[in-house]
Amino acid sequence: MTLQSPAALGDVVVEARGLRRSFGRLVAVDDVSFTARKGEILGFIGPNGAGKTTTMRMITGYLPATEGKATVDGFDVFDDNLEVRRRVGYLPERPPLYPELTIGVYLQFVAELRGLPRARRDNRIGEVMERVGLAGWEDRVLGSLSKGYRQRVGLAQAVLHDPEVLVLDEPTSGLDPAQVVDIRDFIRDLARDRTVILSTHILSEVERLCENAVLIARGRVLAHGSLDALRSQVDRGVRFRVELRPSAAEAAQLAPLVGALPEVEQVRPVIGDLDVPEGFLALDITAAADPRTAIAALATGRGWAIRAMERRSPDLEEAFLHIVGKEGHTQAKGEGR
Amino acid sequence: MSAAWAIFKKELRVWFVSTLAYVFLGAFLFLAGLFFVMGLQQNGEASLRAMFSNLSVSLLFLLPLLTMKHFAEEERLGTFEFLMTAPVPLWALLAGKWAASLALCGLLLLLTGVFPLMLALYGDPDWGVIFTSYLGLFLCCGAFVSAGLFASSLTDEPVAAGLGGVLMLLPFWISGGAANLVEWEPLARTLRHLSFLSHVEPFSTGVIDSAHVAWFVLFTFAFLFFTWRSVESRRWR
Repeated sequence: MTLQSPAALGDVVVEARGLRRSFGRLVAVDDVSFTARKGEILGFIGPNGAGKTTTMRMITGYLPATEGKATVDGFDVFDDNLEVRRRVGYLPERPPLYPELTIGVYLQFVAELRGLPRARRDNRIGEVMERVGLAGWEDRVLGSLSKGYRQRVGLAQAVLHDPEVLVLDEPTSGLDPAQVVDIRDFIRDLARDRTVILSTHILSEVERLCENAVLIARGRVLAHGSLDALRSQVDRGVRFRVELRPSAAEAAQLAPLVGALPEVEQVRPVIGDLDVPEGFLALDITAAADPRTAIAALATGRGWAIRAMERRSPDLEEAFLHIVGKEGHTQAKGEGR
Repeated sequence: MSAAWAIFKKELRVWFVSTLAYVFLGAFLFLAGLFFVMGLQQNGEASLRAMFSNLSVSLLFLLPLLTMKHFAEEERLGTFEFLMTAPVPLWALLAGKWAASLALCGLLLLLTGVFPLMLALYGDPDWGVIFTSYLGLFLCCGAFVSAGLFASSLTDEPVAAGLGGVLMLLPFWISGGAANLVEWEPLARTLRHLSFLSHVEPFSTGVIDSAHVAWFVLFTFAFLFFTWRSVESRRWR
């Protein structure tokens, strides 16, 4: 699902080239390069321990890169660190909260630290609290908040100074489904005139929010590009799924018969789908052109029942597992739910 | 500057919202009262010399417990990352934290003011001496807080930071006693010079000697500098 066309994207705001970070002998991130433009939500996706957080920390300048360089708005994250800090709003993996303080006092502290003019502080804090769903919660003590609310305060903290670049490390973790929808809307709003880089291990989040994504596993970038490009890396053809009920005698010939149609490139029987009723057979079909009319004609001619014929676009999860699997990183299986 | 001020206020707020500040104030005032009474009974003169000397030693043990949370706790809460990605220069962070601790010390010393006032009711204390004694104690606080900050920057375990701070300061107390055991004069003199007591006691005679002031200022800045280096190096680890 894309919300803005690539043409609407502005200048490159964040650029990383050949970032590498090692901790002792462990290489956490190796040769990571990407760019993010104004108006873009760039998704960083990968299994846990892939190096997402380390990369986020390098973009914000918190962790110095062992090699490579990153710039935000033309400023080097290491050499011009303070300039970068002014321009970036950052939600770390764990929201940075002082358990003793109330939400109101904490946000005042952040506003002051961020150099918001005194006259604007109260208004801005009220505005942001409203937007992240914290209205009326000024006096709640941070230490008593649930995970979802801690996450909201963390987000409020990151956007308070209206930064050009937002770096969000797992922004929706710990939120319930309704909150997730709210926060995603909020992020989408923010991205209209900003750059958002978000990391997540939830594929559907990238699909809902991002136009472009960086696929990362074991510290390396496996793919970087638009979601469509990532999907098409899995499968160049158009895919369909049909469910047919041939006569008992013809059951074995179903796949070869369908495969013989001129439009069809490849047929794969689907095995073990409990949703398919007794007697029916499901086929995954890759085709150069829509084969459904031909299949319908074939089925009618032979007296087979048709239960379903649908077009499928490969989802990102498939793309993800495919690309990660291709690199031999079998550990990524089971991630990305 | 406004960032340092924000940090300063935040630190004080966190202390006074939690019980730490009150326990700390209570403990310190209790000790001060004890030393006050003991000093009067032993000497029978209207002087606070014994109290000041004992309090400076107590501060050596108490202040690291006050400062232990500064960096260790920030690291544990994940707020260190926040501070290091907010547009706050490192000097402002250090200055804010150091000044906040010192402000609490100032309040502490101010509250012990009841003892000289009591003294004034029954005797005739030398106000000049009392003023210089307080100045000495305050300089002491600045130095100990700075060492405590350094200890806190070394670990993300507040208790370890507290004990580490005490251990770090102990040599500067013990060396005075050790000096008496050493026969070789140059070493004895060096040891005596290392001891903070030999620098804080002259203040309680009513003399402000710039050499002693310089010792405390140097001590403070040295440990602030170590803290600076230590916090910087954290990101590389």
